[in-house]
Amino acid sequence: MTYFIAQILPYITVTVFIIGVIYRLWRWAASRIVHNITLSPFPQTKTEVAAIYLREIVLFNNVFKFDRPLWVGAWPMHIALLNVIGGHVVGFYFLGKQFVYLGASEALSTYLSNLLGTVFGIILLAGLLYLLYRRIAIDKVRQVSNPSDYLMLLLLISIVSLGNFMRLVPEYGMHYEPVREYFTTLILFQPAAIPEGNPFFILHLLLAQILIMILPFSKLMHLFGMFGMRWIENRIYKEPAPGLPNVDVAAARARGTGLPSAGSTDVA
Amino acid sequence: MPVKATAEDMRRIHIEPVPDDQKVEKAIQYLDEMRKKFRSFVLAMESCVKCGLCAENCHTYLGTRDPNNIPTNRAELIRKIYRRYFTLEGRWFGKLVGAEDLNLDIIEQWYSYFYQCNECRRCAHVCPFGIDTCEVTMIGRQILHWLGIVPKLHADVGAAMERTGNHTGLTKPAIVDTLEFLSEEIKDEFGVDVEFPVDKEGADIMYVPSSADFLLNPYTLMGAGMFFTYIGANWTIPSTITEAGNFGLLFDQQHTMRHNFTRLLHAAQKLGVKKIVWGECGHGWRAWKMYLPGMADLPIRWPITHIHDEVAYYIRTNQLKLDPNKIGRPVTLHDPCNYVRACGMAETLRTVIRACVADFREMYPNKENNFCCGGGSAILFDDPEMYQLRIKFSQKKAEQVRATGVGRDGNGILCAPCSICKAQLYPMVEEHQLGVEVKGLIDLVGMALVWK
Repeated sequence: MTYFIAQILPYITVTVFIIGVIYRLWRWAASRIVHNITLSPFPQTKTEVAAIYLREIVLFNNVFKFDRPLWVGAWPMHIALLNVIGGHVVGFYFLGKQFVYLGASEALSTYLSNLLGTVFGIILLAGLLYLLYRRIAIDKVRQVSNPSDYLMLLLLISIVSLGNFMRLVPEYGMHYEPVREYFTTLILFQPAAIPEGNPFFILHLLLAQILIMILPFSKLMHLFGMFGMRWIENRIYKEPAPGLPNVDVAAARARGTGLPSAGSTDVA
Repeated sequence: MPVKATAEDMRRIHIEPVPDDQKVEKAIQYLDEMRKKFRSFVLAMESCVKCGLCAENCHTYLGTRDPNNIPTNRAELIRKIYRRYFTLEGRWFGKLVGAEDLNLDIIEQWYSYFYQCNECRRCAHVCPFGIDTCEVTMIGRQILHWLGIVPKLHADVGAAMERTGNHTGLTKPAIVDTLEFLSEEIKDEFGVDVEFPVDKEGADIMYVPSSADFLLNPYTLMGAGMFFTYIGANWTIPSTITEAGNFGLLFDQQHTMRHNFTRLLHAAQKLGVKKIVWGECGHGWRAWKMYLPGMADLPIRWPITHIHDEVAYYIRTNQLKLDPNKIGRPVTLHDPCNYVRACGMAETLRTVIRACVADFREMYPNKENNFCCGGGSAILFDDPEMYQLRIKFSQKKAEQVRATGVGRDGNGILCAPCSICKAQLYPMVEEHQLGVEVKGLIDLVGMALVWK
């Protein structure tokens, strides 16, 4: 069982993920932008367009303005998620010593890596639990939910809980080195057995792979979709210049155009 | 749901209604064509995360509390079918991922809820991803049109568009007659001589008014006539395309919409004008400004601007003399959805209204965040069921107007610079007892002009 999850499934997971994402993105690209459906705000320069993108992606601007209670959960959750995923990549590769490049000592770097991982893991879990609460308890959110929306949240909560558990309970913690070694063997197509005796790690690995496999077939494609939609709507639109041809207002007023004493409509 | 067009009504607009036993199969076929054609539609289908933000930002949900009026749920009526037939997860997991087989009941639901959407795009404006439920509604209505399911109102207007080039079926004699009458009205009320040249070849400017102005909004036409006369313009109104709107946008964005697009290009060429100036119509301005360039079958050799943009230009360059104290009443501005969200005109409207009105009060929220009047996309049905719904759809708007206080003494003005907004708000301000009169923006310009 462990052999399958650790040494065979990863190849299936990555294949399904890559082919799935390419397939979905290809379907989007094959369809067309037929009409000009420019939407407010109306950026006049490329810089303004970039600002719209950045405000939305980095600060969740629309969520902040139009549904503050949602923002309170969604934004910290996504920031924590990005840091946790980034921390997985960077942490495993540099064995927790990545902050050396910012001037920290090795010990400080390892300490920071552990601390940030723990903190963001907790924020991420709190955010997810809050979002699940909203989906159960708030009418409008419940009314828009399908079973898969709840299941996705539960899957994410499970993965993060397992990760947090390994972080917070020392006897089930995982160190960077053995995991980095394991991933290296995977990449070299010589998959080796993972460290024994940690059922939480196996489960975390399994659930994470399930998440990666279903991503292209779920609403998690919004991570690409949000760019696709804004690309259509947030475009520069330039008006034709105002000002009417052959019109001299001052002359018309001097002539008294329209006034009964001066005669009726005059043509310039 | 609105009264449906009969089979005869549909045949008049060149659609053979699909028999019931073929509707499901045809609907799936048309849906397949739409999803392969429109990227905006596919993204709305696949990128929504069901966060629920759109719910309380849509006036139809706020007014009716019907869960299917939540924008993402309105889209879900099609999304659940899309998932079932066009995605792996839908085919495999069915109800778990919210996928359903299509049947005639669901098609009826489509008719009901796509004609409860005002296509105002506030949901797109507030969505974190910009998912445009208006696109879904438009495609839903297009599929229904091809199936032969269209409200009688829209189908009749489609027939009028083909017959006369305008929505209300005005013929040239009627147009000329009404304009002569309005010239007299202007003389009586304002003491100035304004002539409305119709089909004048060699005019520099072609002004395209909303045909509803001839029947319901005389002050808008009078205001435009006064503006063009004041600046000494060599202008004309075309009789073959006396329509600032385009109902094709609202139910058939191919044959019907294209027909009037072609009429405009023919008229501009025949009359030899140099610039086209558009009248007060919200959905029409969106169609003509944003959709025409992609659908024109002939080169567009004339710049097209909106009359508000032109008036604002002449105000900014101090060429118009306006007295803001002439209209001695408090005024608030309703930002029409298509003007502010689809066409970027929020500041233009304010340049004009501030020059015309001394006591101008903003409503809140305003500009791009404004709520729809509830009549958008011609939800203007007057059968009892839909009329009650219109009252609910305009609930949010009524709250906004009341909060400004302009109607407190019963003499307020609600400035609504869009034909459909006017048609909706004329009865709705009475139903909600707001104490205001509905006027267009060019109406106010005409009333505030200083001629000497």
